[in-house]
Amino acid sequence: MKEKEQMKNKTGYIMLLIVLGLYGILYFVHADKTVQALEATFGVFKTVAPILLVVFFLMAFLNTFIDEKSVAKHLGDDSGFKGWFIALFGGVLSHGPGYIWYPMLQELRKKGALDGLIVAFLYARSIKLPWLPLMISYFGLTFTVVLTFYVLVGAFVQGVFAGKIMNEAKKDR
Amino acid sequence: MSRTVQRLKETSLQTFKTLQSIAPMLFAVMGLVGIFETFVTPEMIHKIFNAHAIHDMLLATTAGAVSVGQPFLSYIIGGELLDEGISMYAVTAFILSFVTLGVIQIPLEFSIFGARFTIVRNLLSFLFAIVIAYMTTLSTSFLSGYFS
Repeated sequence: MKEKEQMKNKTGYIMLLIVLGLYGILYFVHADKTVQALEATFGVFKTVAPILLVVFFLMAFLNTFIDEKSVAKHLGDDSGFKGWFIALFGGVLSHGPGYIWYPMLQELRKKGALDGLIVAFLYARSIKLPWLPLMISYFGLTFTVVLTFYVLVGAFVQGVFAGKIMNEAKKDR
Repeated sequence: MSRTVQRLKETSLQTFKTLQSIAPMLFAVMGLVGIFETFVTPEMIHKIFNAHAIHDMLLATTAGAVSVGQPFLSYIIGGELLDEGISMYAVTAFILSFVTLGVIQIPLEFSIFGARFTIVRNLLSFLFAIVIAYMTTLSTSFLSGYFS
């Protein structure tokens, strides 16, 4: 486990070095644009930092007060309708980029949450409540309502498929 | 009570360590987002479409998967594509894959969830972007005809 953690750290540092190298190369080709890209990165960081803080507190809360038993009950094999409801509406209500939520979702997975529910959560995130008025103004109310409905249904179906595929793979191991 | 406080301290430290371990990858992804937002312009995305429905739908899904930014950007680009005669199927697929797929964040997803989860989720999301785009466009045109 510790080896896996160290490997994860190593991959992260390698990736970061590659990106820094890319910035270095781009700076020689397009200095102005590279500075703009750095500013954009800083902008992303400013957007993400407060959400990351919320995720940090949620994870600490989760690890302190919610044990494997209750995760299994609400998001595990026997969670049923309640599990899907939590995953879909949690996904719709979650803010910020999806990758911010990965560590917390992995914690839930470790505690027994179903893979299918995690997949459904991530897909339901494509419904962005604050941006719905803009979507209506661009594509109309009918399109927005229909798309929102199909995304919710699609998130559920995708979760079911993903759960089945991953369960089969686990059985084969 | 003190046991809870002690536990909270332990889990906060544990959580901090988890976030610390993913921090380099997280910064790398943010750095890539910055590069993409600056170097890949909406004009570049426009140029790859040729108004052939199936070709455009597949291409739109791929373009959405490699694009990054706030969701409203996909609506603006989608709106412009529609004005230029690109099919609603392709535009819907683009909007969907823009928020559900992320080529840039795949290394992070891979390192946190593992290979199998990442591959299954991304392949399914690609497929569902196409299926949902198809169904949404058909249903919308049916309903618009019905209500008009």
